[in-house]
Amino acid sequence: MPQQPPPPEAPKLPTFKHTMKAGMAGGEQMLEVNITEGDLKPWDLDSKLRVVGKRQPRLEGPQKVTGRAKYTFDMALPGMLWGTMVRASIPAGEILKIDTSKAESMPGVKAVWTTESRTVRFAGQDVAAVAAATPEQAMDAARAIKVEYDERPYVTDIQKAMEADAPNVYEEREIPGPPNVKKKGNIVGPNTNPTTGLRGDVEKALAEAPLTIEATYVLPVHTHSPLETHGVLARWDGDQLLIYASTQGTFTVRDGVADALKIDRKNVQVLVEHMGGGFGSKLAPSASGSAFAVVACKLAKQAGAPVKLMLDRREEHICTGNAPSAVMTMRLGATRDGMLTAIHHKSFGGPGIAGGAATGGPSALMYTNVPNLKIEDHNVFTNAGPQAPLRAPGFPQGAFGLESAVDEMAFKAGIDPMEFRRKNESSPVRKLQYDIGAKAIGWERRNQKPGEGTGNKRRGIGLANGCWNVSTNPRPGAEVKVHRDGSVEVFSGAQDVGTGFRTAMAIVVAEELGLKPTDVAPRIGNSNYPFGPASGGSNVTNSVAPVVRLAANGARQKLFAIAAPLLGAKPEDLDAADGKIFLIKQPGKSVAFKQVAAKMSGEVITATAERKPQYEVYRREIAGTQFAEVEVDIDTGNVRVIKMVSVNDCGIPLNPLTTESQIIGAMIQGASWALFENRILDRNVGTMVNPNLESYKVLSASDMFEAVSLLTPVANGGQNTSTAGIGEPPIVPTLACIANAVFNATGARVRRLPITPDVMLAALADAKRRA
Amino acid sequence: MAKAPEDRSKKDPSFTRRSFLKSAGVGAAATTLAGAVEDAVAAPAVLGPDAVALSLKINGQAKTVTVEPRVTLLRALRNHLDLTGAKEVCDRGGCGACTVMLDGDPVCSCLMLAADAVGREITTVEGLGTPEKMSPVQAAFVECDGYQCGFCTPGFVVASTAFLSKNPSASPSVDEIKAGLAGNICRCGTYGRIFEAVQKAAKAAPRTSAVRKG
Repeated sequence: MPQQPPPPEAPKLPTFKHTMKAGMAGGEQMLEVNITEGDLKPWDLDSKLRVVGKRQPRLEGPQKVTGRAKYTFDMALPGMLWGTMVRASIPAGEILKIDTSKAESMPGVKAVWTTESRTVRFAGQDVAAVAAATPEQAMDAARAIKVEYDERPYVTDIQKAMEADAPNVYEEREIPGPPNVKKKGNIVGPNTNPTTGLRGDVEKALAEAPLTIEATYVLPVHTHSPLETHGVLARWDGDQLLIYASTQGTFTVRDGVADALKIDRKNVQVLVEHMGGGFGSKLAPSASGSAFAVVACKLAKQAGAPVKLMLDRREEHICTGNAPSAVMTMRLGATRDGMLTAIHHKSFGGPGIAGGAATGGPSALMYTNVPNLKIEDHNVFTNAGPQAPLRAPGFPQGAFGLESAVDEMAFKAGIDPMEFRRKNESSPVRKLQYDIGAKAIGWERRNQKPGEGTGNKRRGIGLANGCWNVSTNPRPGAEVKVHRDGSVEVFSGAQDVGTGFRTAMAIVVAEELGLKPTDVAPRIGNSNYPFGPASGGSNVTNSVAPVVRLAANGARQKLFAIAAPLLGAKPEDLDAADGKIFLIKQPGKSVAFKQVAAKMSGEVITATAERKPQYEVYRREIAGTQFAEVEVDIDTGNVRVIKMVSVNDCGIPLNPLTTESQIIGAMIQGASWALFENRILDRNVGTMVNPNLESYKVLSASDMFEAVSLLTPVANGGQNTSTAGIGEPPIVPTLACIANAVFNATGARVRRLPITPDVMLAALADAKRRA
Repeated sequence: MAKAPEDRSKKDPSFTRRSFLKSAGVGAAATTLAGAVEDAVAAPAVLGPDAVALSLKINGQAKTVTVEPRVTLLRALRNHLDLTGAKEVCDRGGCGACTVMLDGDPVCSCLMLAADAVGREITTVEGLGTPEKMSPVQAAFVECDGYQCGFCTPGFVVASTAFLSKNPSASPSVDEIKAGLAGNICRCGTYGRIFEAVQKAAKAAPRTSAVRKG
C-alpha cells in the first residue's frame, strides 16, 4: 500500500514555528517546521533521549519462546466448529451446480455455504464451505461437495496472455483498471504518471546518447507465504460479533466484515493479540482472492456456534495474494563520462486477475536528476490468483530492472558501479551511505574485471540502491493510563505483525514518563482501542508513535501537577527519568514515580490523544543501499550468498534491535526471491504445481549468509518522533544487488530470476558465447 | 534437523514381526507370507475408524486423549490437549514449525500419528520452560531477538534444544548449527539471530535436563 488516501480536508489549525536539526549525522540541515498548536516539538539530532535508541528485547518474547503466545491459529472457544473451504478446481468457466446434499448429511456437519458468484477466473476461487465439529469431519464433508463446471479457455502465462488470440480473462466491457488508460484484451496500459513518470523527451535523449543499453528483465510470481496462514475465529453473541483474525489490519477486518454483512461497526470486535506474518497479504478484510472471513461469520451464524476457519498451506499460496511477475524492458542513455541522460522503464506485470502490477516506482523516485524519464506500466491479466501488496509492492521488481540496467551501463561506461551511482545520485542521504556500506562489505575486494577470478567457485561483490515513500496515516489515536499503584498501560488498536510495534510503543511511553519499557504494558490489536492503521506502507510505527507520545505527555503533565507541590516546585520545572520525577535544576531533589501515582485523586489517570497533522519533512523518500557478496559454482550453477550489508535510512529508530531484525529479514526474503522462489502454474491445467513449502522453496537455515544491518538514523520531522517505517524499504534493492554481485563474480549478466542453477548455467554459457 | 518419525519396529523391541502379522490378521497364511514380508515396514494394530483412547506421556505427564486414529500427533497436541506451541504450517514435514522431541529426537509431529507416539517420551516447547522460568535456549532467543512474528519460534526452540543436547560443545560452529536447524523455516528472516541465540545458549550450559543425551 504505497499511497494512503488523502486525509479529509481539515480546518487549518493554528501552528507555531520550530527549527529542528534534521537529516543524517554528517549531513545535518536546519529545518524550519510549522507545528500544530498542542503538538510536541520533534525529536531531532540534538535530542537527548534516555530510552529511545536502546536495544530492548521484545516484551512479548517470553510468551513467544515458550509456546504460550496465542495466535488466531491457536484460539479455541467452547462449542467451536471447524470451517473448511472448497475452491475452484478449474482456472476459467461457469459454475453450473454445487451439490452439497451429501456433505450436509455427514457426521458433525453443522453449516454449509455456497458462493453466489458463478464466474470462475482462477483455480482457487471460493466455491463452498462447511463447518463441522472436528477438522477431520470438515475435510471429509468438503471433499463430498460436488461442483459441476462449464470450462472455458484460459491463459496462465503472461507472455501468452499478451498475444492477440489469447483467451480474455475479462470481457471487454468489464476490464478493471484506472480510467483514461487503454484496455485491450488482457492488457491495461501503458500507464504513465504525468507527474512522477514523465520528464523531458526520452526518445530524443536516447537517440543522442553516446552510450545506450536496452535489456529485458524477467521475474516470476513470488507468494508471501506467511507461516501463519490467513484465518479467523468468529463468534456471534446475539448481534455482537467477535472475530479473532490473523490480519495486518485490525480495523480493516472490522470495517470490511461489518460492511459485507451490513451490520454496524460498533457491533464487531476484532482481536489480533499475536499474528504470524503477512508481508502485505493480510491487508484485506479477508484476502485478495477469498472472502473467507465473511464466510466464517456466515457459517457461525448459520450453525449458532463459533467457527474457526484457517486456510491450509495450499490455499495460502493460491488465493491469498502474491507479488506480481514482471517483464521489464529498460533503456538507458548516458554520456561517455557516465552521466545518465535518459531512463525508459517499460513494464508488463502479471498480477493474475487483479490490477496493481506497476513496477515503475524506483525509476520515479531514484536518480531524479536524470533529465529524461518515461515510465510505461502495463497490467497483464492471467487466470491466476490475484496479487496483493507485498513489502514495497512493485519496488523490488522495479529495482531489479532499474538497478540491473544501471549496473550494465556502469560496465559499458567502464566506471566502477558504486562511483557510477554516486555520480548520478540525487539523494543526500544515500551519498553518505555508500562509503559506510562499501567499508562493511570490503568493496575493494571486488573483481576489478567481472569474472576475473579462477577456479570453479567464483566470488563477486555487487550493490544496488533502494527507495520508498514516507507514508503516514493521519487518523490514529492513543490512550495512556497510569494506575494508582504506578502501573502503566498504553492502548492502540493497531497490530504487531512481527515488527516490534508493541515494544516500540512501550518505549515511547517510557521515554515520556521516565520509566523502563518493561514498566509499561502495551495493549494492542483490539478494535475497541483507539484507531491504528493497517500494517501497510511502512506507516504504523511512524503514525502511531507520535500520538502515543502525545498521550503519554498528557499523563506526564497530570503527574507533574501532582508532583510539583510535593517538591515545592512548578510543573514546568520538572523532568522524569529512572522511575523518578525530579527538579531539572536540582536532579537530587526527586520523588518516585510510584509515590506520585499513589497521590492521584482518582483511581487512574487517563490521557488520550489524536494524531496532529503531519508537517514539513527533510526528505519525502527513505533511502538505502545494499551490498552483496556471492559465490557461484560455475560447474553446477549453484549460487550462494556469502554476505549482505544493508545501509538504511530508518528515521530515529525507537528500538535498533528490532529495527535491524526487520532489515535483516527483508534481505533474507529478497535473497530468497532472487535465488529460489517461483510460483509455477501448470499451463495445461491452470493450477499451481508447487503449493507447499518444499517445492516452493524459501530460503532456509542452511542457505543463510552473514547479514549486516547498518542504520543511518535520519531526523526527518513531519511528526514529533521523527520515526520512519522500515518494513518495506530494505527489500527493494536486494534482488538487483544479488544479480549484480553474480555479474561481478562471473561476468555473466543474469536477467531472469530466480537464479536457479539452470538459469545460472544458461547465463554462463551465453557470456562464454559472447566473449 | 527434525526428521520424519522412524519406523516404530526399529525403536520398540516388543513390536515384532510376529505382532505385526497378528495385528494384520494374516492368520493361516502367516507362514507363507512371513518370508515375503520379512523386510516390510511394520504396520500398527488395526485401529478405528472411530476415535480411540490413547495414553501419551507429554512433558513428563501421563495424558489420555481420545481421537480418530488418523489424527496426527500435532493435531492431538493442539486440538485435544491445548498444547498449541507446536504449529501446523506446511503439514508435510517441510518447515519444522511442528517440531517436538520424541525420546529426545526432534521430529515433525505433523508427519506422525498420535497413535504412533504411545509409549514414547514427548517433549513440546511448553515442557522446556515457562515465561517466568525460561530454558537457556528460550532466554537466548529473547535476548538475541531470534524471532519476529514468532510463529516458527516454538519449532526452532525445540530443534535448537535437541541440537544442543546432541552437540555438547560450548561453542558450536555456525555450520553445525545450520545443519542442526536445516529443517526449520523462518519467513520473517531471523536465521542469523537464531544462530547467535543458539551459540549464547551453548555457552550458558547446563543443557536442559528435559532432553535425553543422544
